[in-house]
Amino acid sequence: MSDRWERGHVLALAPDAAAAKAAATVARPAAWTGAACDGEAAWGECRGSGKSVYRVSVDLTGPAFRCSCPSRKFPCKHALGLLLLWSDGAVPGGRAADRPPWAAEWLAGRRARAEDPPVRATARAADPATAERRAARVDAGLDDLDRWLRDQVEQGLARTENAPYALFDDLARRLVDAQAGALAGQVRALAAVPRRPGWPGALLAEYALLRLLVHAHRRPDLPAPLRDTVRARIGFTVPREEVLAAGERVRDRWCVVGVRDTAQDRLATRRAWLRGRGGRSALVLSFAPPGRPLDASLAAGTEVDAELAFFPGAAPLRALVAERHGAAAPAVPDGVPIGAFLAEHAAALAADPWLDRWPAVLSGVRFARRDGGLAVVDAAGDVLPLRDTEPWRLLAVSGGAPVTLAGEWTPRGLRPLAAWHDDEAVVL
Amino acid sequence: MSAWEEHVGAALLGTARRPPPALPDAPDAGSDAAARLLDQAALLTVRRRAGLRPARGGADPVAPAPPEDLPPVPPAAAARLDRVLAGEGDGCLAEWLGLAADRGLRVPARVVPDLLEQGRGKDGWHLRAPIAAVAGRRGVWLALQNPRWAWLIASAADPGTDDPAVWTGGTAEQRVAYLARLRRADPAAARAALLDVWDRDRAVHRPEFLTPFGAGLSAADEEFLELALDDRTGSVRLAAANLLARLPESAYAARMAARARACVRAERRTVRRRAQTWLHVEPPAEHDEGMARDGVPFHPEGSFAPGRTPAPPRAWLREIVARTPPATWTGAFGLPPAEILALPVTDGAAAGRGADDLHLGLARAALRFHDAGWARALLTAGVLLDEPRVLGELVHELPAAERDDAAAGLVRWVDDARALTDGLLRTLPRPWSGALAATMTAKVAALLERPAGTANTALQALCASAAHGFDPALADRAADRFAEVPAAETAAARDRLAATLRFRHDMLKEFPP
Repeated sequence: MSDRWERGHVLALAPDAAAAKAAATVARPAAWTGAACDGEAAWGECRGSGKSVYRVSVDLTGPAFRCSCPSRKFPCKHALGLLLLWSDGAVPGGRAADRPPWAAEWLAGRRARAEDPPVRATARAADPATAERRAARVDAGLDDLDRWLRDQVEQGLARTENAPYALFDDLARRLVDAQAGALAGQVRALAAVPRRPGWPGALLAEYALLRLLVHAHRRPDLPAPLRDTVRARIGFTVPREEVLAAGERVRDRWCVVGVRDTAQDRLATRRAWLRGRGGRSALVLSFAPPGRPLDASLAAGTEVDAELAFFPGAAPLRALVAERHGAAAPAVPDGVPIGAFLAEHAAALAADPWLDRWPAVLSGVRFARRDGGLAVVDAAGDVLPLRDTEPWRLLAVSGGAPVTLAGEWTPRGLRPLAAWHDDEAVVL
Repeated sequence: MSAWEEHVGAALLGTARRPPPALPDAPDAGSDAAARLLDQAALLTVRRRAGLRPARGGADPVAPAPPEDLPPVPPAAAARLDRVLAGEGDGCLAEWLGLAADRGLRVPARVVPDLLEQGRGKDGWHLRAPIAAVAGRRGVWLALQNPRWAWLIASAADPGTDDPAVWTGGTAEQRVAYLARLRRADPAAARAALLDVWDRDRAVHRPEFLTPFGAGLSAADEEFLELALDDRTGSVRLAAANLLARLPESAYAARMAARARACVRAERRTVRRRAQTWLHVEPPAEHDEGMARDGVPFHPEGSFAPGRTPAPPRAWLREIVARTPPATWTGAFGLPPAEILALPVTDGAAAGRGADDLHLGLARAALRFHDAGWARALLTAGVLLDEPRVLGELVHELPAAERDDAAAGLVRWVDDARALTDGLLRTLPRPWSGALAATMTAKVAALLERPAGTANTALQALCASAAHGFDPALADRAADRFAEVPAAETAAARDRLAATLRFRHDMLKEFPP
């Protein structure tokens, strides 16, 4: 029997705020007939507006949802409403044998597919001829990028100010054709740089690091971990199965120190930053197309005993949750002073010079005003400015006292994600 | 210029025009100038990023907040508040805040900014007092750092300091807060402090300085308030008159009573050979200076009700009676309130005319002087049926034990759904309990059971009112009662009502009793 989820966990599955709100109105016992659950699933019939009745089934092991309503949201309010009721303990327990035929059939189908997964494209990727063709394409794409970069610098960056997005989009498209997807994404993101203050330096840094990547890719003598890093930055993906099978495994009590969602190219990305009690950092990425929920299994401010499998690389950061050994519980992560954090970041950068995001967990820092913005200052008097910050909730929780602050460190500064005070925590 | 800045400069201009600067420790990058610039820039970029040193100094740590003296709300209630702020429960924020404020609890610090934002603007003013009560000292501490939240400093009872220097040197809000605190502790000292600066202070502040004088009001304030009646600022005069009109023994009350008695006389008449006492109502013929000085304006507030604006003399009469201690009438006619209300009224021209003006004035006087005896008489005399709001307000003046029954009686009287929801239910005391709750349950259930379409708007208004009216302790039972109503067509309104009632019921349970 799986434990009931907390209300917040259920609502985190909602594709948007409106669905979460609608779900709360559906979550009343009177709207349901035949609602029941067993260890693996919950089901019920929900009376909609008018005469329609929707059949809702939820596979709790996935979770996966099915509902006969016409909503395009997924999961729909009925599935979420059923889960909310279940989380309140308002759905009576039943036996698997009591499942109505429409639910039983769907669930059985899911089980069958899970046990017998369709043969995936792994076989195709292993085909040496295909791999060779792709390598040639990527090489050509990188040569193109290198020419483009040199051309930009030769002609001068000044003309890039207020350049149309097409300048970068055309190149990005060519890189997509060259099957260097990750690079294409980086190039497309460059379009925003010339619109920020201090852009010439930032743009030059980005161009320089891209050229460094091209260089690195051409070198035959790179150590294997660094080669993996370079290939990942270009767009060669490592299949999950391979990471789970062969990736470095680290079991620890991992604190989820912050979760940040971004959307790019009609794809939502969720970055969950983890920090182990042993001092190791990790990043768990999840992706979802619009209208689909992102993975909500890692909630900021909690700690989970788990084994992570790291993707290969020179400074391994991205990881998958291979195995959980317990339920998540609220916890305060271990932090370091500002100086120690910067030293730690420098060490990571020495291994992977392209590193552009790194989790920061600073302990014993107080908030301070600096140049009209918010900064943190630690006991040693070191100061680190914060970027893009709505300061009030952080200030409110801190009350001016030292806190543990977690954030995402980028070349542009520290973006706070959560803060812990002795009395309470705040997740931004 | 640093090496990095030189590189940026060259890149901006283009290596076609400016060769890349030399970087001694750079690896040899061949002959292509652009490539060399990029390679050197890569080296510098990683070096800069890895070598970043924290700044020292130049930052101004935020001063610590004072320790809280109120206990926090229980965790379950805090979680409920998050849901309310996210829009659940159909607008239960005011009630949640009230529950916390009544128990002397404070909210978790993380929601304080959201609450301060809620209290801003026109829609938030009614939340300000409870927010100020539950925001704790953290609230004032935060508001002092953000000008958008200055309203909290104004409504918080805590001016931040006891220092008398605030009174002469502080902001207007701080000075009002200081005066309010002083007034609660020592009314005479507050009066002396205000008198001290009265002639010198800017006119815009003076009406606000009179607001705290409602606390600890006594005959000792009369002299000062009479002085303020001659102030050059209209709002100061009105504020002073309103304060004086709460002192039944004052010279002001005597002047007003004399005016009122000149307008309302008892008359012996013989109708069909039976001697009767009539009340002859005669509005003042003209608006004299004395009336103006005592706060009876030419166009009294509220005399512009659309469609039933009384002529100015009738509005003056209402205002005069409303400012006259109701005990004047029991003394003058030698009758208890109920019998006075039963007397026939005439304006000399037609029987019955003038009764509404007289009774409305009496009702407002009962409210102003908190006269339970008159309130009870007015509620049972069958008068003021066109003024359901005033009747609802009068219920507040009754002793707590009588309120439910009186309110239930009013609700049974008012048949028109609109007058009920827009008028009476807005002013009746909440939460509904006892006889009132029972009557309202029956009323809502009856409306739910009616065939669809006949009273949909009325039903929705009534459900919305009922969702927040019932005592949350009874809400579960009311919700169960409504859930039984077999009403497919009205299901949406009913379900929403039941859901809100359950939400409020759960909300109450999360607070300590």
